[in-house]
Amino acid sequence: MELEEAPKQHYSEKEKNNIFNNEFMPHINSMYNFAYRLTLDSDDSKDLLQDTYLKAYRFIDSFQQGTNAKAWLFRILKNSFINDYRKKSKEPSKVDYQEVESYYNSEDVDRQITPDLRVEALKDMIGDEISNALNSLDVDFRTVIILCDLEGFKYEEMAKILDIPIGTVRSRLHRARNLLKEKLSEYAKQMGYNNA
Amino acid sequence: MNTPNKWVIITLKSMSNSDQGQRKTDCTDKRNCLEMLQLILDGEATPEQKANFKSHIDECMPCFQHYHFDQAIKELLKLKCTSQAPTDLIESIKSKISEKPIY
Repeated sequence: MELEEAPKQHYSEKEKNNIFNNEFMPHINSMYNFAYRLTLDSDDSKDLLQDTYLKAYRFIDSFQQGTNAKAWLFRILKNSFINDYRKKSKEPSKVDYQEVESYYNSEDVDRQITPDLRVEALKDMIGDEISNALNSLDVDFRTVIILCDLEGFKYEEMAKILDIPIGTVRSRLHRARNLLKEKLSEYAKQMGYNNA
Repeated sequence: MNTPNKWVIITLKSMSNSDQGQRKTDCTDKRNCLEMLQLILDGEATPEQKANFKSHIDECMPCFQHYHFDQAIKELLKLKCTSQAPTDLIESIKSKISEKPIY
């Protein structure tokens, strides 16, 4: 459950409540957003968030006070999602686990700037397009963008939250961003930017 | 539309009209630049890598545009894709913790 193997703590009830209120609860909006973006379902996201916080409280002795509570909580939420929610998800993971080998392949390099997606199109995307584009990505790609771009986690923290090597974090992010741009490019075309 | 969105649009407009004539139009080191670009956007680059990339984009139009475009997407994501937990859900979690202490 913990990010690092830390010695088990023995907190008093008062200490537990202090940690819960002062170190765990401040991340509730970020955690809710993560739960919602993973499940893409309002009821499931509420259940997942509640399950995660109850679990965090139950395993609070595995958390070392003053360490990275946000990363610790995100890891619990991610694991709960995989164990309890992903099974019933209609959408199986499509991530190609050869991704490290294909890191920065020549095709990506040649498409360095998607030619039909320019700033003039992006500037009009102030509605739900970017949110829909993010939600349309496969969950593993969606996750790295959430952790990095929305929550500002460092690569090392992401590697620990996701149990993957840092190299995989980097390559997955790179591919996720290319896929997101492709999606935004489709929206741009629908908005009339045929060759923006 | 709120103020931060306007700010993003202004940023995008200003970058698209920048001094295109002073930069070369093709990058000779795309692979390395792509890698650097990501490290810099994500705050993972060393000061030296940052300085090198800065001098590179002063001369290279594709990388200059790519950098600002990716940065704009990153900012838009943060503006558009975050949300607040419902108050009743927060209250429900708090009350479950206080009514069921686990020993």
